Amino acid sequence: MISSTGLFQGRHGKTVDTPELLQFALAGLKNGSIYALVALGFTIVYASTGVLNFAQGEFVMLGGMLSVWAYSTLGLPLPLAGLLGVLLTGLVGVIFELLAIRPRKDGDPLALIIITVGGSMLLSSLARHLFGPTEKALPRFSEGSVNIFGASLERQSLWIFGIAAVAVVLLTFMYSYTRLGKAMRACAIDRNAARLVGIEPRMMVTLSFGLAAILGGLAGLATTPLTQTAFNVGPSFGVKGFAAAILGGLGNPFAAVLGGLTLGLLESMSVAFISSTYKDAISLIILLLVLFVRPQGLFGGSSRQKV
Amino acid sequence: MSGRSLNISRFLTVRAAIVAVLLLVVAVLPLFVTGTDARYVLKVLTFVGINVLIVTGLALLFGYAGQVSLGHAAFYGLGAYASAYVTATLGMPWFVGLAAAIAVTALGGLALAVPSLRLRGHYLAMATLGFGEIMRIVFVEASSITGGPDGFSGIPLPSLGSFVFATPQSIYWLVWGVAALAIMISYNIVSGRPGRSMRALHGSELGAMASGVDLVGLKVRVFVISAVFAGVAGSLYAATVGFVSPSTFTFHFSVVLVAMAVLGGTRSLAGPAAAAILLTLVSFPDIVLPGLSRDILAVVQDWEVDIYALVIILVVLFLPEGIAGAGRRVLGLLRRGVVEPSGSDSGTGQRGDEA
Repeated sequence: MISSTGLFQGRHGKTVDTPELLQFALAGLKNGSIYALVALGFTIVYASTGVLNFAQGEFVMLGGMLSVWAYSTLGLPLPLAGLLGVLLTGLVGVIFELLAIRPRKDGDPLALIIITVGGSMLLSSLARHLFGPTEKALPRFSEGSVNIFGASLERQSLWIFGIAAVAVVLLTFMYSYTRLGKAMRACAIDRNAARLVGIEPRMMVTLSFGLAAILGGLAGLATTPLTQTAFNVGPSFGVKGFAAAILGGLGNPFAAVLGGLTLGLLESMSVAFISSTYKDAISLIILLLVLFVRPQGLFGGSSRQKV
Repeated sequence: MSGRSLNISRFLTVRAAIVAVLLLVVAVLPLFVTGTDARYVLKVLTFVGINVLIVTGLALLFGYAGQVSLGHAAFYGLGAYASAYVTATLGMPWFVGLAAAIAVTALGGLALAVPSLRLRGHYLAMATLGFGEIMRIVFVEASSITGGPDGFSGIPLPSLGSFVFATPQSIYWLVWGVAALAIMISYNIVSGRPGRSMRALHGSELGAMASGVDLVGLKVRVFVISAVFAGVAGSLYAATVGFVSPSTFTFHFSVVLVAMAVLGGTRSLAGPAAAAILLTLVSFPDIVLPGLSRDILAVVQDWEVDIYALVIILVVLFLPEGIAGAGRRVLGLLRRGVVEPSGSDSGTGQRGDEA
């Protein structure tokens, strides 16, 4: 704010100096980490079912709401409440798959998509009945902020970076080195071949929903201390997570993470240089542009559709 | 066999008779709505007609072209605001507002459908969801045109020439007349060549393409038609209510519309229309059961969203052919009973394209 050199000239005569730019970048990366977790959830379910799970955003909502419930109503200490909230969200994901996805045996993608749309509405409405319509908050995991080259960063943002990074590392480890992860990958590549070597694809679909719900729940837990949560925040997280997954390239976990971070950065830079009025529209416009211009995503390989 | 074709033509007459009776019932219904709350009942029945109009477009898209839109509330809103702006702000007649609503929604539908329908899979669903959210933000933020979050008021009543649709009855007839027209247009589409092509792509997209069906062109046209139906409904809504606000045109309403189309069933126009009537009345149970206590009313309204969501999930899981499928079964039984007393199984050979 002291610098008047105007390194970066935004529209509306907005001048953005370096620390301020860094501030926007960090905020973007923080949101981007959340989007990355949601995008990973989309990717995992898409890989195992070929379906876009429109209820993915509700897992973010549930992660926050259930943690708040465990903390305020059950009176558990924060770490335990968060753990319980995330695990319960995972359980909801598993139950959702067993009750609503599995009974539709033919796996018709249009039918499953419509079911997830209905499920999204049902989950948010049930959350309203159970926890009420008001906004809920969690205390921050650690208070205060740190100074990074003149930009200040809330410690909670560090937690968000950390949680996202640990989730990605664990997920990579699981997919690369554990039998379960390999079985899930095998199913994503070829269900029938996987069945031939003794893997139960239905089980893998259920697990992928549970895993996606846990990732969404982590995102909800991590972001609730900063942004609060309510029964109706799900769809907006869902759309942004999906935009991130598409931006990166649907079906590839690393692309999903890169897509999330890129989307977060683009969003906060648009606030810095253009206007904050249409902040939420930016990610949607990016989503539409990518769908129309480069549907395989920025980081996805060329996957020309075969007829 | 000439005997059989005679039977079928007789069956078609039965269907024509059913349609005629239904039209008559819809047409004379307002004459029987009297009493203190007649205005309210007619208003609700007019909303039902508006939803039937939108869902007819969605039925074409979902039931015949195999695509789902999660953004039809946005086309509804686009039509409503376009019409409101032209009639209230520019002071033009309602007819011009209607034309503007049609033009804007057709262009919007085209811009959305052409790129996303070239892709395989169900990217259209996400594209429409994104479009719906963008429009909702625009309705709120572009306040110099839309009135912002407070809404747009003072929209004149619909009129044709010097005739103003001022009474609740005339508005009801206007809306249901337009809805009937839309169903007729749709029936012509699905029973003609485009309908055959769409049925072909339902069976096998690859097979349909190999037989020379322009798959993308067909889906795009269907999507644009469904967007325009929603736009026309929006224009009617804006003019009859006189006020529009962004809270009407939400993602939630788009999903309710999808619920109606899904409950209605595929390859049918009557099914979705019936579902639209049924599910719209869920929000107004006091119309169906007059004298319902306020407490029960409040409970139903509190659980409305859950009802819609459960309808979607349960129908897709356990009743994938929806109301139309059930209707077909009943009609099939009727047909066998009425025109084929011998009880042969040929009745099943004709299934699948009841309107």
